[in-house]
Amino acid sequence: MSNNISINLLPAEFTQKEIKREKFAHIQTAGIVVILFMVFLSSLTVALRILQSKNINLVQNQVALAQHQVSTLKDKQESLVILKNRLTAINQYLGTPSKQTSILLLLSKFLTPVSVNSISVDKTGDAIVIFTSPDSLTLDNLITNLMNKDVNGDQISSVSIDSLNRGRDGLYRVSLKIKAK
Amino acid sequence: MKKEELLKFYNTYKIFIFPAVVSLCSLILIVFVIYPQIIKLIGNQKSLGDLTNKSEFLATKVSALESYNGEDLSKKVGLSLYSYPQDKDFGFVIGLLQNISSQSGYSIVSISLGDTSKADTSYTVKMELIGSSSLLPVLVSNIENSPRLMRVASLETSSKDTNSTNVALTVDVLYSPLPKSFGSDDSPLPSISADDEQVLTKISTAAPISGTQTIFSSSPRGKTNPFE
Repeated sequence: MSNNISINLLPAEFTQKEIKREKFAHIQTAGIVVILFMVFLSSLTVALRILQSKNINLVQNQVALAQHQVSTLKDKQESLVILKNRLTAINQYLGTPSKQTSILLLLSKFLTPVSVNSISVDKTGDAIVIFTSPDSLTLDNLITNLMNKDVNGDQISSVSIDSLNRGRDGLYRVSLKIKAK
Repeated sequence: MKKEELLKFYNTYKIFIFPAVVSLCSLILIVFVIYPQIIKLIGNQKSLGDLTNKSEFLATKVSALESYNGEDLSKKVGLSLYSYPQDKDFGFVIGLLQNISSQSGYSIVSISLGDTSKADTSYTVKMELIGSSSLLPVLVSNIENSPRLMRVASLETSSKDTNSTNVALTVDVLYSPLPKSFGSDDSPLPSISADDEQVLTKISTAAPISGTQTIFSSSPRGKTNPFE
């Protein structure tokens, strides 16, 4: 039965003022929140920086201490550097025959059936062998062996006969030029 | 009067002035505090990482260096320098070559130093020897397998008879100056591998007295009676 009838008797200016006031209160709250957030963020970054600086100082001290320890062990470091430097070079040479030695060892293996007069191995590893062969078959076998890659270990690139003489005694006097690879 | 005017102005435009002031304050905080601090934080984080890595590396280096026995290390250095010295060691090498020759069944007729001024990593020793031709591979192998680094540069043989052979041998004797830089505190330590240890064992078994360069030749140096 009873209908509520609300009648705004306040002047229209008052309502507008109230709306404005409420709007400003919202803006004010938001502004304060923003300012507080910014202050919090600033404090956080400053605090983090202080913590980080402390950590950096701590690690710097550790580094300085370790550097001091390393400098006291400098002698050992120098010894190690020298040792490694020497061993790297020694490792290259020790137990690895030179080209000249390899050729000589190879020749000494094949020249057993003939009588060697002279062997000359130069700095490039090329060799000249002068020998006397009892027969042509031995000579043929020797040259075949020297030319065979499987037998010579692929160390010889060419074998050429410089001179070949057959004496009255039936012996073959041969001068071989052997080119190393 | 002015204050009243200002208050009135603020009350009229406070809806714009307040957000403007808040924005300005925030901007000032961002520009002068937050942004520089964050930039520095990021930058310092990188340097902190680098410093931590350096600290860990140095700690490892220290423990590695401490694990080496100083005496043993200097003995090894002595051995390596015996094998590959820093200077020309003419006297020692001549003695060693005489020793190797006699052990290989050869007698030295003459021995001379070649051109020693050419290279700074080797010098040549020229030898004339007499011995059995069958022992020539042994002689050459013994020279190259000697703990003192030597390489046969060239050789010439001439046989007078089946028993004796004249050998003219040129040997390159290797040496090398020590490295100029031994590394800084931050430089990594060279590691001694198993191969290196094997080389050291090889040298130490062949070296007459480890770390020293004393060797005495027992080979004949010439005729006992030169007028014979």
